[in-house]
Amino acid sequence: MIEVENLTKRYGPKTAVDGLTFTVEPGAVTGFLGPNGAGKSTTMRMLVGLDTPSWGTAKVNGRPYREHRAPLQEIGVLLEARAVHPGRSARDHLLALGATHGIGARRVDEVLDTVGLTEVARKRVGNFSLGMGQRLGIAVALLGDPHTVVLDEPVNGLDPDGIKWIRHLLKDLAAEGRTVFVSSHLMSEMALTAEHLVVVGRGRLIADIPVADLIASAKRGVHVRSPRTTELVAALRGDGVRITSVGGGVVDVVGLSSEDIGTRALEAGIPLYELTPQQASLEEAYTELTRDAVEYQGTTASLGEVA
Amino acid sequence: MGTTTTALGSPAATKPVHRLGFGGVLRSEWVKLRSVRSSGLTVLGAALMMLVTGLIFASTVGSDSDGANGVTDPTGITLSGVMFAQLVIGVLGVLVVSGEYSTGMIRSTLTGVPSRLPVLAGKVAVVVGAVFPTMLASAFAVFLSGQLVMGNAGLPTARLGDPGVLAALFGSAATMTGVTVIGVALGAVMRNTAGAISTLVVLVFLAPGLGGLLLPASWRDDALKYLPSRAAEAFTTVVPAPGLLTASTGVAVFAVWVVVPLILAAVLLHRRDA
Repeated sequence: MIEVENLTKRYGPKTAVDGLTFTVEPGAVTGFLGPNGAGKSTTMRMLVGLDTPSWGTAKVNGRPYREHRAPLQEIGVLLEARAVHPGRSARDHLLALGATHGIGARRVDEVLDTVGLTEVARKRVGNFSLGMGQRLGIAVALLGDPHTVVLDEPVNGLDPDGIKWIRHLLKDLAAEGRTVFVSSHLMSEMALTAEHLVVVGRGRLIADIPVADLIASAKRGVHVRSPRTTELVAALRGDGVRITSVGGGVVDVVGLSSEDIGTRALEAGIPLYELTPQQASLEEAYTELTRDAVEYQGTTASLGEVA
Repeated sequence: MGTTTTALGSPAATKPVHRLGFGGVLRSEWVKLRSVRSSGLTVLGAALMMLVTGLIFASTVGSDSDGANGVTDPTGITLSGVMFAQLVIGVLGVLVVSGEYSTGMIRSTLTGVPSRLPVLAGKVAVVVGAVFPTMLASAFAVFLSGQLVMGNAGLPTARLGDPGVLAALFGSAATMTGVTVIGVALGAVMRNTAGAISTLVVLVFLAPGLGGLLLPASWRDDALKYLPSRAAEAFTTVVPAPGLLTASTGVAVFAVWVVVPLILAAVLLHRRDA
């Protein structure tokens, strides 16, 4: 469980994270989504005490990370930047980190096996590919068998097999009842793994919603074809309805369901040749969400209807 | 009853309980030190530097016009490599910390030990444990072999039992260990290998010469004797040069040069974002 309250980080005049408040629950994969530079990495660094918040608090499993007696058992973290000495072998890297907690060679070999690095365990990390480095980072995150796993852009540099492997791993970890918090700047990736989303932009919270709700909330247009579009537009016009003419007797209607449009057209006696609901993709929903945040200068006023 | 206890006992048994502790941090730092090739190479380099320099001095001394009269301090001649060896070993101290910053390893380290200060203490302990015994052994080796060389050349020699000799040998090992710890501190303060090494070189190697050139003669010698290398000379030479601190003041001054940067390093490590 991760509880972030009013978390803020300022670097001089620049505010990287601006009053973030959210909770990440155990038992599900929660995506941490936002464009590059939205403050995701900084938030994760504050979670594990690498950066000190300017104000606000970040708690992991009930208390600030630094106060835990066995931090590696509470939270395992993969940060975006590489955090390994290239001259050391993967196994020695894990042994050194595990030693602080009395975690020995048996567990080290176990996680090396989990991430598929057993064969190169004694090779110097400097010669590792990006994907192997990423796997080692994940081995570090799993080393303490932690209740909470935080991974910053874990699919970066992985090949398709590796990406598939990560997706399964994340779901397995969540199924075991752990808290899984994964950042990405790609909605498409999150759509496949996450059940819940924390969306940030410019350091502020844009949305904290289940993935299913985000899809439902996305404004979906309805594609309508009729020989009498002028009359149709007059019949449909109203509050919150946006109609755009596509030309050739076709209009796109946003703000009314296809049922509403069909009924109103019938009442007005207007024939319809086509009535097609347009399914918004998660990617579009996300783009719309972040665009709104930019338009409204990051206010959360529009969140009422989303959340 | 019996079945209940078994059922309750098994989950706890499957998940081992680990604790973060200083013993573990020490072990971790030791694994880190021994698992990077450069650590061993620097220690070996420093030891060789002492041996080779000492033996070269021992075999060339007395070959000029002064002859045997030039040999006033046979111990000092064999220990003349300390000056260079301490730079090599000081680099080890710097790298132990700055290497973690340059590679990003520090983020892994501090995530495992979020209280941070045990990491610095662990690094100092491990470096001292590795450097002091090896440098002490090197000092004994170069002293004994150097005296042999000079004895064979018919030059004056010193023996281990002579007054001040053991102090010089232990003092030399302590000086090199101290310089390594200064290196650790500088690495933690500057978080940059090149910067920390340059500072170390200026402080222990160039400062006496530079000060001699740049400072006004009226108070130059009074100031320069407080530099780490001069303070160390006060307790590592059998026949001290004139104008040095007393041996005990030398020890105290040198200790200040080690402890103050270390305190600064601790404060900054605790405060700064990693």
